[in-house]
Amino acid sequence: MTLRAWHPFRLALGLISAVGYLFLLAPIIVIAGASFGSTQFLVFPPQGFSLRWYEEALGRADFWSGFQISVLIALVAAVLSTIIGALAAVAVVRHRFFGRDLILALFLSPLILPSLVLAVALLLMFSAARIDPSPERLIAAHLVLCVPYVIRTLIPVLQRVDPSLEEAAQNLGASSLAAFWLVTLPQIRPGLVAGAFFAFIISFDEVVLGVFLAPARQPTLPIQIYSAVQFGLDPTVAAVSTLLIVLTLVLVVVSEALLGVRRLG
Amino acid sequence: MDRAMEPRDRAGVSPLSSFDGGQTAEVLDRSSADGHQSLPTAPPVTGDEAGGSPGTAWLTPWVLMLPALLLFFLLFVLPQARLLGYSFEPDPQSAATGLTLENYGRLFGDMHYLGILGRTLWMGLLVTVITLVLGYPMAYWLARLETRWKTVLLVLTIFPLLTSAVVRSFGWMVLLYRTGVVNQSLQRLGIVDAPLPLMYTLSGVVIALAEVLMPFMVLTLYGVIRGIDRNLEEAAMDLGAGPLSTIYRVTLPLSAGGVLAGSLLVFSLAISSFVTPSLVGGPRVQLMATAIQEQTVSLLNWQFAATLSAVLLAVVLVLALAYSRLVERSGDRSAVVPV
Repeated sequence: MTLRAWHPFRLALGLISAVGYLFLLAPIIVIAGASFGSTQFLVFPPQGFSLRWYEEALGRADFWSGFQISVLIALVAAVLSTIIGALAAVAVVRHRFFGRDLILALFLSPLILPSLVLAVALLLMFSAARIDPSPERLIAAHLVLCVPYVIRTLIPVLQRVDPSLEEAAQNLGASSLAAFWLVTLPQIRPGLVAGAFFAFIISFDEVVLGVFLAPARQPTLPIQIYSAVQFGLDPTVAAVSTLLIVLTLVLVVVSEALLGVRRLG
Repeated sequence: MDRAMEPRDRAGVSPLSSFDGGQTAEVLDRSSADGHQSLPTAPPVTGDEAGGSPGTAWLTPWVLMLPALLLFFLLFVLPQARLLGYSFEPDPQSAATGLTLENYGRLFGDMHYLGILGRTLWMGLLVTVITLVLGYPMAYWLARLETRWKTVLLVLTIFPLLTSAVVRSFGWMVLLYRTGVVNQSLQRLGIVDAPLPLMYTLSGVVIALAEVLMPFMVLTLYGVIRGIDRNLEEAAMDLGAGPLSTIYRVTLPLSAGGVLAGSLLVFSLAISSFVTPSLVGGPRVQLMATAIQEQTVSLLNWQFAATLSAVLLAVVLVLALAYSRLVERSGDRSAVVPV
């Protein structure tokens, strides 16, 4: 027995879900909507329509340099964490060794442990070791947050690769490195791309480590937004935030399409 | 197309499916055929597989993990162990030396700090309840939906997760302001006479944080509910149960593990989140996260910042262990660590 489409239960369920989605998307809609208003003070619903805040945002040199440093940090963090994470994932999935479960738990623990505590711990350690604020310092810290995502993405992918294929290649004379490179790597490529994608997004959006560790003169874009928002509701900042939202959306759609096609093909 | 976007089908490859608790959900999904995919037994490591002499085969995993182990030792274990050490050192202003428990004594002996701890746990509880009450119907609806819109709705659930928490908290600031749209609507509807103080209050933090963490709850529950055999629900209804009692007596008990897992996850993330409390709550709402920042950056009392951090870390660790026990009991060991 299935319920009719207009059964009160289904209607109520649909209504609650609609409210839930409105709640979930409210802040995003509000920022995007308010950024097109023409008033100096940020309001929603927007009053009037204007693109002046976008003009102003795109003309700000500090936002551009923040964007550039964010992209640079995220790119380096994504590449490094994909390599580090992929090697570790292969070790965990393909090998048995002492303390494997514990080490895996350690590698995944930044996903749940407070990054605020890590940020404070790193700040104190860097200060004690007299390592001054620099983009490199922030990248190193970001790696700790990005590697778990890469490992978690790759483990199920690697589990689905039949190790006997690699053994077959070796029986046919390939070295273990060549067998991995030519047989396993092509099979886990979508997982690598997805892992790198997460690592990029995580690093690009990261704020907590940044607030404590980024050099004051070279803040990343999310930190600029974080600092600006504390001083007031600036429409220019709403415009920058909206551009960030759109950029995220484009990245999601593109990577989803890319991986989807590959998976089907 | 719809099916291709499904997390199960995509095997965690797609960004959309694996960002969430995709794995978590899969793991808790007891009734599914592949619910028992534990970490596979490693293939027999033979001498020639390792590429070298048989004697060095055991080294291979350690060489592969070397960069990750170095990274985690230097930038994760070492700094946090050092932080823990600071919490046992005396206040810099006192003349005392050696190890001491006075920081912990100060935290647990002072109503101000006990209040901060209590307020943080209370906030976490409220956030968990809101996300559960609103998230369960959403997850159920999503799991039982059979239209092409399902893909779009899944994307809409995951998309906020990928949007910066700063931007979403910014959105809540605009919404919760004295003259913001929430207060204006409430006044226009005649629900309140004067604008409610929402910005820079605990209520505001709870509302915003519930939204920020909602996707974790919905996605965890979605994975579990989707794994429940629909025939069970239909059987209950064929035997005369109404839809509500079917949910209460069949679906809810079968998804209890997911409810607990989602709640533990959201609670841990809520009590340790920093961005939303610091923007929406500001300095007026004293929570663990904001107190830790204040002690570190403004008061430069590293010892006390470390003590507050250690207590927060201890609470989250206990919850994480409970969570992993829960996941383990459901027959899978690959998700010993959550999310």
